[in-house]
Amino acid sequence: MSTRTVELIVVGAMLAGTLVAETHKELRFNVGAKAGVSVNNPYGSISVKPSTGNAVIINATLFSDKIEVDSNQTGNRVDIQSHLLPGATAESGRADYEILVPADASVTLHSSTGPMRAEKLHGDMTLEGAGATVDIRDIANAHVRIRTLNGAVTLTNVQDEHVEVDSLSGDVTLDRVTGPLVQVVSTSGRINYIGDFGNSGEYRLTSHSGDIEATVPEYTSADVSARSVRGEVHDDIPLQPKSHAPFIVKQGSAFVGTMGRAAVSSTVVLRSFSGKIHLRKRSAK
Amino acid sequence: MTCVELQQSLAEREDANSVEQRTHLRDCPDCAALVAELDLIVSSAVELREADGPSPRVWNSIEFTLRKEGIIRPQPANGSLLPALSGRWTWARWMAPAAAVLLLSVGLYVRRHSQTEQIASNNVHPAEVVSDAAIAGLNDEDLLQEISEQTPALKAQYADNLRRVNEYIEDAKSSVAANPNDEDARRSLMDAYQEKAMLFELALDRSLP
Repeated sequence: MSTRTVELIVVGAMLAGTLVAETHKELRFNVGAKAGVSVNNPYGSISVKPSTGNAVIINATLFSDKIEVDSNQTGNRVDIQSHLLPGATAESGRADYEILVPADASVTLHSSTGPMRAEKLHGDMTLEGAGATVDIRDIANAHVRIRTLNGAVTLTNVQDEHVEVDSLSGDVTLDRVTGPLVQVVSTSGRINYIGDFGNSGEYRLTSHSGDIEATVPEYTSADVSARSVRGEVHDDIPLQPKSHAPFIVKQGSAFVGTMGRAAVSSTVVLRSFSGKIHLRKRSAK
Repeated sequence: MTCVELQQSLAEREDANSVEQRTHLRDCPDCAALVAELDLIVSSAVELREADGPSPRVWNSIEFTLRKEGIIRPQPANGSLLPALSGRWTWARWMAPAAAVLLLSVGLYVRRHSQTEQIASNNVHPAEVVSDAAIAGLNDEDLLQEISEQTPALKAQYADNLRRVNEYIEDAKSSVAANPNDEDARRSLMDAYQEKAMLFELALDRSLP
């Protein structure tokens, strides 16, 4: 028997062992309007989508016998906890969840590794994870709060939302995100905004050393102020200057002005200590 | 009396006027600074108007953290609202309320620097502001030690992020010191401390069983 054959047999046996160790578990809970759902999964992914009807349906894939799923329903609240057994590691303690919830449910997700995903919901959302990447899309009319240490955050088509993102060193991308308040704070991550800033919200993008880039269409209406203490500031869009600026505007380090119609404009504040700030015009397709 | 015992005793005797408390405060500048800061918070709180307080985002963050850690709960029989001081996770259970005190202290520090020239000149000079560790008992070394014991593979990651956020805080402090009336600088300092509090909270999520 050749060495190659032996290697293949060993790999196959390991793979078979892994597949055998995986177990699947399905849970179902009936809830009322505006239910609360929380999932705490140290290692593994969590994906949340809307269900039909008033049910919370949980499909969990457990990757070894070192992890079990604890579930609890109290009234209109469902709590799911991945319970790590002695000897569990990041690999053996992994569980992946696919969860269906009523679209108006409030969702709280915790995962250190992630990824965490949510789409097509309109209840409040809180997602936290040190290294987890976060992907939120097609959300409307709720409050979204995201906190990561170095996990990248992507929000796509998030409308009329109160959005707060804190990512210490993860990059944050906001594509068509609007709302009464959109606030991103990062220490060293890049912040990239693509959209039109809605029509009457407050947008605040702050990074200590990360770059901030905002790409907006020509029809955008916004009062914009940008300032970097040590970094460069660039503005590709002509702004109508304001008569009074909240700070001394140094060419190349700051700009303040209005684009579009002031009467229906949002307030946009871009701040970095040592990162670059760039306000770009989106090219017409 | 140790520093931890003094902090516990403050729940029972807030004026720190017992013999043991006074003796310890005489010899411990860090605890003396902490008590002074707490006294300032208490005396200044009555002067705070709603419009001058920290933003709702700060309060929401504090409340979220305290509820998650179970700090907000019915008062136990012995009347103490402070976390237990025995057990392996002593330092970790102190971090959430300590983070809350840190945020409150920063909010008041920032507010003081935005008031009139007369008040600013009478208040604490930036050079006299107590250290981060004294304000909140948060210790970077304790955090990294705990991470290295629990998940050694992540120590480098947390150390790197801790370095970044400490740089943020130092830069923000410099900005406030250079321009005490600059609202952006004050806001930047608040954001920087918020980032550090978040780092500790995320680490706390990992460290507790």
